[in-house]
Amino acid sequence: MGLIFLIISTACFLIGFCVSVALYRAGRRTAGLNMAFIAIGFVFQCLFLWKRSELHGRCPITSGSEILVFISWSIVIMYFVLGRAFRLSLLGVFTGPIVLFFQAIALTFLATNDPGARPAETLDPWLEMHASMSLLAYGAFALAAIASIMYLLQNRQLKSRHPGRLSRRLPPVKYLADALIRLLIIGQLLMTIGVVSAFFMEKTPSSLHMAASGGVWLLYGAILTYQLFRRQAPRALARCAIVAFSFAVVTLLLI
Amino acid sequence: MSIFCLGVNHKTAPVEIRERLAFSENTLPENLREICEIALVDEAVVLSTCNRVEIYGASENTQKASDSVVKYLAKHFNIQEDQVEFYSHHAEAAAHHLFEVASGLDSMVLGETEIFGQVKKSYALAQSSGVTRRRLNKLFQQSFTIGKLVRSNTQIQQGSTSVGAAAVDLAETIFGDLKDCNVLIVGAGEMSRTTAQSLQSRGASSITVTNRSYENALALASELNGDAVEFENWENELARVDIVISSTSAPGSVVKADMVERAMPKRRGHSLLLIDIAVPRDIEEEVNEIDNAYLYNIDNLQQLAEEGRARRLKQIKICQEVIRNFLSEKGIEALAEIPTRIQDSMESGKPSTSSGSEPLTNP
Repeated sequence: MGLIFLIISTACFLIGFCVSVALYRAGRRTAGLNMAFIAIGFVFQCLFLWKRSELHGRCPITSGSEILVFISWSIVIMYFVLGRAFRLSLLGVFTGPIVLFFQAIALTFLATNDPGARPAETLDPWLEMHASMSLLAYGAFALAAIASIMYLLQNRQLKSRHPGRLSRRLPPVKYLADALIRLLIIGQLLMTIGVVSAFFMEKTPSSLHMAASGGVWLLYGAILTYQLFRRQAPRALARCAIVAFSFAVVTLLLI
Repeated sequence: MSIFCLGVNHKTAPVEIRERLAFSENTLPENLREICEIALVDEAVVLSTCNRVEIYGASENTQKASDSVVKYLAKHFNIQEDQVEFYSHHAEAAAHHLFEVASGLDSMVLGETEIFGQVKKSYALAQSSGVTRRRLNKLFQQSFTIGKLVRSNTQIQQGSTSVGAAAVDLAETIFGDLKDCNVLIVGAGEMSRTTAQSLQSRGASSITVTNRSYENALALASELNGDAVEFENWENELARVDIVISSTSAPGSVVKADMVERAMPKRRGHSLLLIDIAVPRDIEEEVNEIDNAYLYNIDNLQQLAEEGRARRLKQIKICQEVIRNFLSEKGIEALAEIPTRIQDSMESGKPSTSSGSEPLTNP
């Protein structure tokens, strides 16, 4: 049953993305219809995660596939929480493919090799807190990276002095720069909760796990601290956010 | 009973004629009643803007009614009947014309939105004066629906068509809402003034003017409800303002790259848009290479405006297609035959004795 929910959710994101692209190419607005597909996709994401949590009796982040779906879910939820500045041009045209890509991988693995129920020997709420908050933070960092890409594209268009159709569709650079900072702060706050939770866990995490989580936390912390005191230009911040997210993805693969 | 439209616009009459035919808003209710007192004119709406004067009416005999209206206009505005060449449209052509007007397809600036509000206002005035009934009520309501449909389903209002509009569009692409934007005008020229006014009309919060002649700066500042700063001190403003418009007649650069570079750290990450409408140029080209600063000169803006105009021209066919599709789906309700007893009850103000659900079929 859970897999069907994931299939429907992935299909919704696929259709939403295709609709966005088709409407964009036709020069039409993408908002309403695309939003409906994303909202339905999100509902089925929730149902999938709920089914998996029932199966394991704990937070459904027991395998790489589930982690990918959980990150996708956190990206979508971050969008809904921080909606205004992004509108659907971000989620539909830019975020859609990422969510689609993550869920397609998860779907392939679950369809061919579902490890099944993985109940915890003992339920450690701190471990659950650590994992879920860290993955939510990854969602925020992913959105920050996407906002950065959009900022760099819009900036490039404006600097060329010949802003085209893409520029008219993208949000203003100020909104993107503001959203980027907000997402980095939210991501870092969530990551901090995740890292602090790790100190209370019953089982001490591996040194690799600690180094990876700590490294990501320190990297984003450094970026934000530098931003607080030096206020670097948004272009430099956007580049940092993309590099930092690439590093975060690598650490996720290592863990 | 059918509808007609009679009028002149920027394509058919020069401003000297249009200004003579312009109705005053204060006397319009009275004028509307006078038009309706003319034999055969049962309903009327007058659309009087700087680019057009049009009278929409409903009548049993639209040809005779429009002739009567021409006579009324000649008498009212004290002109010879043959002095002005009015265009007139009848039945579906009149409706189609109104739909194009409301959609901005008949405007001087193709796709502009102001006309939509003007049509709404004219209709509201006629309605409150008691000179519209079912025909024109339906017709104008349909024109509002079509106006919105055209704007939301086509790109007719996208892109800028003038230098001022291009500057505003750029500012919105950078800052979004302009309500927190501060503008600095360097040089009190005409182009700066119109560009600043365009930004002001979109909500720019403050205008600061600087000029070599402080008196001229003060004069323009007072006209724009802004402040003036002495020319020696304008550089300090670079750290505060969001948009700089420069149009001095100085032979060399006024805004130099090192000035902007010095100001950027004080701006704490806020973007700066610089618009150089002077020839020879006022702002050093290198400014565009500074992070978070965007420089546009007059050629860049003119090119954007030209592209905008071309894009809108391409949209005309699509807009007309939208109007045609709407009409083929819904028909023009104002042209539908009204059963006599319903018409009687509407005119007497008493409810109809019929069920009220009798279909009003389109012709």
